[in-house]
Amino acid sequence: MWKLLVLATAALAAEGDLPSRAQAILRKNCYSCHGPAAMAGLRIDQPGDLADGVVVPGKPENSRLWLMMTGKGRAMMPPTGKLNAADLSVIREWIVAGAKWPAKSEATKAPTWWSFQPVKPPAVPNSGQGWARNPIDKFIAAKLNQNQLKPAAEADRRTLLRRVSYDLTGLPPSADQIKAFEGDGNYEAMLDRLLASKHYGEKWGKHWLDLVRYGDTAGFEQDPYTLYAWRYRDYVIDSFNNDKPYNQFIKEQLAGDELFEDPRQQQGTGYFAVGPNRDMLYKVEDINRIESLTDFTDTTSSVFLGLTAGCARCHDHKYDPIPQRDYYRLQAVFAPYQKNRVFLHYNNGRSYDLGEVTRTFKLYDVGAELAALKKPYFDRIKAERLAKLSPEIQQAFAVEEEKRTPIQKALHDEHQRAVNPSDEQIWRILSEDDKPKLERLKSRLLALYGNYVPGPFSPGITDIGREAPKTHVPGKGTPYGEEVGPGFFSALGGGDIPAPPIDSLTTRRRSALAEWIARPDNPLTARVMVNRVWQYHFGRGIIATSSDYGMRGAPPSHPELLDYLADQFVRQGWSLKKLHREILLSATYRQSATASPLANEKDPDNALLSHFTRRRLEAEEIRDAVLSTTGTLNTKMYGRPVVPQLSSEELYGMSQPAANAWPITTDKSEHIRRSIYMLVKRTYRMPMLEVFDRPEGVLSCSRRESSTTSTQSLNLLNSNFTINQAEVLAGKATTIDAIWQQTLQRAPQESELTMAKEFLAKQTQLLGNELAARRELIRGLLNTNEFLYVE
Amino acid sequence: MNRRQFFLDSGRGFGAVALAGMIAKAAEKARAQRVIYLFMHGGVSHVDTFDPKPSLAKYDGQPLPGSFGQGLITSRIDFRKALMRGSPWNFTKAGKSGLEISDLYPNLQRHADKLAVVRSCYGDAFDHAPAIYLRASGSQFPGRPSLGAWTVYGLGSENKNLPSFVVMSDGAIKSGSGAYGSGYLPAVYQGTIFRGGQSPVLHLANPQGVSAESQKETLDLITRMNRRYSASREDDSTLEARIASYELAYRMQSEAPDVVDINKESEATKKLYGIGEPATDDFGRKCLLARRLVERGVRFVQLYSGTNLGDDWDDAHNDLLGSHNKMARKSDLPIAGLLADLEGRGLLDSTLVVWSTEFGRTPLAEGKNGRDHHPYGFSMWMAGAGIKGGRALGATDEFGLRAVEERKSVHDMHATMFRMLGLDHTKVTYRFQGRDQRLTDVHGEGEFTPWLTT
Repeated sequence: MWKLLVLATAALAAEGDLPSRAQAILRKNCYSCHGPAAMAGLRIDQPGDLADGVVVPGKPENSRLWLMMTGKGRAMMPPTGKLNAADLSVIREWIVAGAKWPAKSEATKAPTWWSFQPVKPPAVPNSGQGWARNPIDKFIAAKLNQNQLKPAAEADRRTLLRRVSYDLTGLPPSADQIKAFEGDGNYEAMLDRLLASKHYGEKWGKHWLDLVRYGDTAGFEQDPYTLYAWRYRDYVIDSFNNDKPYNQFIKEQLAGDELFEDPRQQQGTGYFAVGPNRDMLYKVEDINRIESLTDFTDTTSSVFLGLTAGCARCHDHKYDPIPQRDYYRLQAVFAPYQKNRVFLHYNNGRSYDLGEVTRTFKLYDVGAELAALKKPYFDRIKAERLAKLSPEIQQAFAVEEEKRTPIQKALHDEHQRAVNPSDEQIWRILSEDDKPKLERLKSRLLALYGNYVPGPFSPGITDIGREAPKTHVPGKGTPYGEEVGPGFFSALGGGDIPAPPIDSLTTRRRSALAEWIARPDNPLTARVMVNRVWQYHFGRGIIATSSDYGMRGAPPSHPELLDYLADQFVRQGWSLKKLHREILLSATYRQSATASPLANEKDPDNALLSHFTRRRLEAEEIRDAVLSTTGTLNTKMYGRPVVPQLSSEELYGMSQPAANAWPITTDKSEHIRRSIYMLVKRTYRMPMLEVFDRPEGVLSCSRRESSTTSTQSLNLLNSNFTINQAEVLAGKATTIDAIWQQTLQRAPQESELTMAKEFLAKQTQLLGNELAARRELIRGLLNTNEFLYVE
Repeated sequence: MNRRQFFLDSGRGFGAVALAGMIAKAAEKARAQRVIYLFMHGGVSHVDTFDPKPSLAKYDGQPLPGSFGQGLITSRIDFRKALMRGSPWNFTKAGKSGLEISDLYPNLQRHADKLAVVRSCYGDAFDHAPAIYLRASGSQFPGRPSLGAWTVYGLGSENKNLPSFVVMSDGAIKSGSGAYGSGYLPAVYQGTIFRGGQSPVLHLANPQGVSAESQKETLDLITRMNRRYSASREDDSTLEARIASYELAYRMQSEAPDVVDINKESEATKKLYGIGEPATDDFGRKCLLARRLVERGVRFVQLYSGTNLGDDWDDAHNDLLGSHNKMARKSDLPIAGLLADLEGRGLLDSTLVVWSTEFGRTPLAEGKNGRDHHPYGFSMWMAGAGIKGGRALGATDEFGLRAVEERKSVHDMHATMFRMLGLDHTKVTYRFQGRDQRLTDVHGEGEFTPWLTT
């Protein structure tokens, strides 16, 4: 009763007359979908929309609006939950009173979902005095205060350096760097040094590659190589290292071909080319094209706008104001795409192509000469071998393939490997006359391939021309419903993309999209990106669902902070390094990972950041950290993907013979480069990276899982990689202290020293030598939580 | 850390907890506790195995009449020109039920009364990888969790020392590991490849030159270091979970080799599976292993017959007779043995055995001796778990081209398998990209559990 009274009073107290109050409720709860977005074809935000029984003046029970809102209709509206009793009673009262519109229509106001509102630079709260180092801390402190929580103390120097080092470069600091930092303690200088490190782009480029579902192969049965995909990978690394303004980064990726002359900028369109693709399959080109367009639409909407548009492919989005029509308006932007090779150097590219054609032509002759050279030997050996076999088998070989009976076919297949000589067998018995011929062929091949290098190309896309194929919203039972033109999401203001100028070589649709996304006043773009950066630093975004800003996404834990950061980000020229700097300089970031009992109780997910959230290293970080601590890491950057040696049991399960699918890089010093340079196959992940939650690379991944499984333990414990690396370090670090310094970047404590001594003695006895014992000590330390976690 | 997160983090790979199961309890009792899924890799011809079509023999050598072939497309044949081809195998009315099974499967025929055949499966992908993804995950695009992953996500495992989702293949699958991947579910739900030998699971064996005693010392060192580290970090259960994961890895090192050690099986049992005979030894061992795994509480065992690197049902492109004779000979006795053995041990009633393939093969000839891929109508069967066998559901048209009666999509099959396991396919969900994703997406309304069980 008391509750009802309160509600009633609240309703009465609401401002304005009945129509305005009803309008306000509808605007707040309904217009984001049933405003300009017109979900399910229904708008209720302007006079005239309420006809056809949507609202029957005077009769709520006959009004579909009322029935839906009260759960008596076909669906429950709004889908996010029934309105409260007070609001419902206003709506009912309004309908009973004739459902009049307010004198001054509110219809033109934008929908009210928070993430579609413009970024509003908030006032910085005056909290966290004595603790706060910058505005970020004041926002954090305000929320902590509200929840009676206190920030944790600052982490010690070693912990801080290790944390920043992993967060910015994905690599641990050396023991010497820690010593130096513990000495001078200049945090800001340390930040700047790491932000300037070339390893920064390797770490943050990887985050981006997760988002854009990067792969070096196209997937499916053949899993063919996407030639030069790695040039896009290198482009991403460089873009981060050079602190390319994010708005420019967006434009280069979405429309580099249309907007920029410089091929290094056009390379950005590799974004479209490095996804999954099943071009290799025939007779399904039309389906493949649709799949690619779907991939472009879903990935673009998710990566740049944080919206899960994918749902609207088949029907109006159930929760977000994205009608199916809008989905296809976005897809129409990509409809004219075709694959493109970006010439990194025009003349060199042309020469390369010319050389390639000449080479191929010459190869026909080399091939013919080789076949002619082999034939007499091949026939001779085959005849000799056949002669020793039964007449049935001889007959099976004599019959033409087409005419073999099933039994003959079986006989032929069974014996052909034994009968037909291999090349090696032929070379061995080559006559003295023929030997020089083989040598000459070899030198011709060497001459043809002696200087063979990848061409100066980067993969990308452009448009087929100025005209685009039509795009249709699939209708009931037909893929060709209403035709739509390219345009933007109506919930974000909408707008059509005009036809390009008459002399344009492309449709200029993607450049229009890129400009629209990269506009400073796009409410999502900056928010989505600053939140991603926040998430990668703190393990959890201010929006925990970092690629979902819709109504099913998590609400922001600190909405004002998000807007503060987004606003600053744009003001500071979309600079990611400045954003990192501000975040990492905060007291919030510098807290220790020790949670107070109260924090564990009140905020177990640490959404309020009363301490630092400990995290497990990511898959690539673990591999890179092992290489780094054992001192073997090859820090060479860029270039074609490396295929490291794996054991045959690790290669089990490949979709193709390993000789083609996993052609090991000859130069072994390449095998110990950073993980970002290892071949990214779509049908096969390196087991070590796979078990530690590297994503599959098929769909955009905005946040990796961080699981704990015993397959991880088995891998890190027993793989060749670990033991080989441990052995390398065992040869160099001969004392317990050196081993501790290398692996954990600190001196052993007294009790650890005792433990290690006993361990070494025991293992020396078991394994017969000290080197093996040290290797075991190192293998153990590489498996400890202290090694695997950052805090 | 909240409870949900704790379970996620401490999922521990080989003993995945039933996260979804806790969230979405099925309305009804489970008929099956576990699944053995026999997947015939490459595409088995339905009109030569479980879907007899006398009309094909009658019109052998003739093109399809009228517009029958319209709208059908595969990689290698033209439905307007290719010629019909009758099955080279006889069909036998087997068992008491008289269920028709071709003579490719003489041993399976003995179990006809256990089999519930679905003759009206259909899909829309006619290349291997997309079709395998489709059968595995409900989408012909990779990236989605497989049926096995969803199952262990929903039900967890009964044996904490073994993987809950085990996969056995001959070494290669045309779709790669995506066929048994966890997609967007946590990696813990991924299928674990099992091979024979001393190291059935990847990295299970100690590194070369490290004795068991030495390994134990190193593991002890890790645990001691981890305990010290945790001492001042007691509130973080992920650290505890990792300590447990090493203990588990150690226990697994002893239990897993024991599972694959089939020397303890009687000669009679081995013979049942055809172990020791060259043709059947390989698949027989896999089937026997499957029984040993489900016996120990492994939830989902997926077997592949045929690979991309060796013998493959897909050799039917140019040699239907040779490929199907060979592959059926390799798998017929082992599968029959598995059904008999499960029955004999009282496991069949609680184990769902499923036989399926990515698509059928064209009733029309490819070249002189082959059949092409054919997703528009094909067969599968289920047995065990209280299923009433000896029956066939649905039908393809007169020539075996299209599923026409009781058409069953992959989602219908998945929904049915889930229901048999006591899971409601509409309730086991995982939030990804803003949606509560389901194994059956928005489909599965053609579930046929009632037909199977009554």
